[in-house]
Amino acid sequence: MSWLDGIIFVTGATGFIGGRVCERLVQAGARRVRALVHNMHRAARIGRLPIELCPGNLLETDSLRQPLADSTIVIHCGLGNARGIVRGTENLLSVCREGKVKRFVHMSTAAVYGLTPPPGSETEDAPLRLTGDGYCDNKGRAERAVLRAGQHGLPVVILRPSIVYGPYSAWSTRLIEDLREHRVALIDRGTGACNTTYVDNLIDAVFASLENDEAIGHTFFITDGEAVTWGDFIRAHRDMLGHKEELPQLTGQDALAYYKERPGVVAGSLKAANRILRSRELRQLLLQIPVTERTLSALWGRMQSLPETKQQSIRSRVGVLPKSFAPSKNGRFVPDEVTIATQTGTVFFSIEKAKRILGYRPRILFPQGTALVEQWLRFANYL
Amino acid sequence: MTPHRIRLGILGCGAITQMEHLPAALAHPDVELIALVDSATDRTRALAKSHLVQCQISDDFRPLLGQLDAVINALPNSLHAPVTLEVLRAGAHVLCEKPLAIKASDALACAALAEQQGLVLAAGMNRRFVASHKLMLLVLNEGMLGPLKSYTCDYGGAFDWKSASGFYFSKALAGGGAMIDFGVHLLDSLIDWFGPVSEFSYQDDNWGSGIEANAIMELRHSGKYGVVEGRLQVSRTFPLKNRLLVQGAEAEAEVKVADLDSLIVRREIAGEQVCQTLRLSDAKTNSFYKQLDNFVQSIRGTEKPEVNGTQTAAVLQLIEDAYANAGRIPEPWSEVPCGTPTEPPKVMA
Repeated sequence: MSWLDGIIFVTGATGFIGGRVCERLVQAGARRVRALVHNMHRAARIGRLPIELCPGNLLETDSLRQPLADSTIVIHCGLGNARGIVRGTENLLSVCREGKVKRFVHMSTAAVYGLTPPPGSETEDAPLRLTGDGYCDNKGRAERAVLRAGQHGLPVVILRPSIVYGPYSAWSTRLIEDLREHRVALIDRGTGACNTTYVDNLIDAVFASLENDEAIGHTFFITDGEAVTWGDFIRAHRDMLGHKEELPQLTGQDALAYYKERPGVVAGSLKAANRILRSRELRQLLLQIPVTERTLSALWGRMQSLPETKQQSIRSRVGVLPKSFAPSKNGRFVPDEVTIATQTGTVFFSIEKAKRILGYRPRILFPQGTALVEQWLRFANYL
Repeated sequence: MTPHRIRLGILGCGAITQMEHLPAALAHPDVELIALVDSATDRTRALAKSHLVQCQISDDFRPLLGQLDAVINALPNSLHAPVTLEVLRAGAHVLCEKPLAIKASDALACAALAEQQGLVLAAGMNRRFVASHKLMLLVLNEGMLGPLKSYTCDYGGAFDWKSASGFYFSKALAGGGAMIDFGVHLLDSLIDWFGPVSEFSYQDDNWGSGIEANAIMELRHSGKYGVVEGRLQVSRTFPLKNRLLVQGAEAEAEVKVADLDSLIVRREIAGEQVCQTLRLSDAKTNSFYKQLDNFVQSIRGTEKPEVNGTQTAAVLQLIEDAYANAGRIPEPWSEVPCGTPTEPPKVMA
């Protein structure tokens, strides 16, 4: 009996990777797919598929029992908040141990070595360390929980992709928005290691983990195995927009110096409060209050009837223009600290172990991957 | 004729009741809210408390029917037609949320029963009450655009409707996806403006669940302005342009979803492009309040429902036909990649 004949339970199914996992399972002919759905309103993409949507939450163990009772395969792409990464994984593992799970594929991340992985972390046997970043450290803790469950008999496989991109990926949609708003700079000439992983290559690795018993108990880096840099990734998106101009440049050192020199607690807090008060996010939250929604939509209506120059002037004063809250130094845009850390790594992860044990072979390489992304971005009205 | 305030019950106390129907009912001077009905009575009690409402809370509408003149049916889609029929049989008027039914034949059955009983049946198409709907009718009737050429209508973004029951992703309960959810509003407006649809083609991205997230419809109307062709696109996943653009030989009219109270007309005067924003003087009243008021006045006999069962059945028939003849939106990015995903693992020593 093929693994496709079993009942496959997917967590994180409303997300980018989990959503594509569900689509690929349907395309592969999986008979029964169950998707854990925490927020039903995020299920529009997977709602199209002939699969079971199971309302539940990784932090509520009881909600996992029924859908997992007869599931044979678990593909754990769920994330949630910092607490959810570890506690949610532990909850899931505890219920899996009660059931009939024959394979548990855990979607970890190469970021278990930090946002800027140190030299020496090219292969999976490099020891994990605390990095000080909540996401990275919690993903590391979740991996350890999975390995412990493996030692107690659960057939687990851990995959560590890096920068997973493809249709629906926020890496691309955010980058397009940022490029449009001139909020992108190449750090260190864009030479940082990007470790791109096209989403379908990653899912090939998931399927290989299900098909191959040799994979059990192992951890694998999964990338496209190409030396794609952040400069390559950013320029590919710039080209999609048809922009011709060179991107602004700054050194990682300069960028970090900006944050070291930034204002102290009081001045910094005032600046942050000012930024929050002008932010789009706050306005969106305010719009959920009926009285503010009505007041703001009345104001919006009035503003729409004003001449465009007047509208621009009002927008800039209330901070709607994104430029107004983008950090800059001497007029040059400075990326945030997470971006700096992510784009200044030099390590390219090795996929030799995945090739050797899983038989993994990336099918979609960078030019084809970015072409598919571009097609999707055009359809989805981002371009 | 109902001399006293209309004794109203609201069936279904999910997101739309919380946000729109309940505030409208509480604000209307001719409405007395008698009951809130929902299977989740705890949530309903909390809703009543949050609006300082004192009324009956129940999980069953049937025992209450004798006390009600009228009902707002805001239950999940699959219950719209059967409950509407039951309420009409019991002698109460009905304002039913869209879609009135999942099948056009059920909508027609509701319309026939309402007529037979001499009761008001209003379809909840609140978009008819936003200012831009009326403004478009005025602009077209005045011939401000010249002979009509075509239109494009885009509506969509990441789905964020906080449905209390989550019925939206069940074909049996919802009847479909984006098209029957908000496409029904857009088609109703387009047909009201440009006339009945004589031809169409339809594509969506339903992969087998019956719940499409994206849909594209090419339409040809044959109405009082002659043949008008247009394109309608709806999405629950991507941010579309969210606007209606009507092209005429002499001018174009635009309605932005961000401001449904206005309509923009652009045209050329003596070689200069000019832009005119039109508004109604009473545009600020909430569309759900206006919809309820139209229902109340229809019960009083002073107005007719803006959208009755027969009109909405025509829209539902179009959607039904579209689903039955749906093509797939090409998604080359979703095709399974070519080549072999794995090569045989190397034998380990």
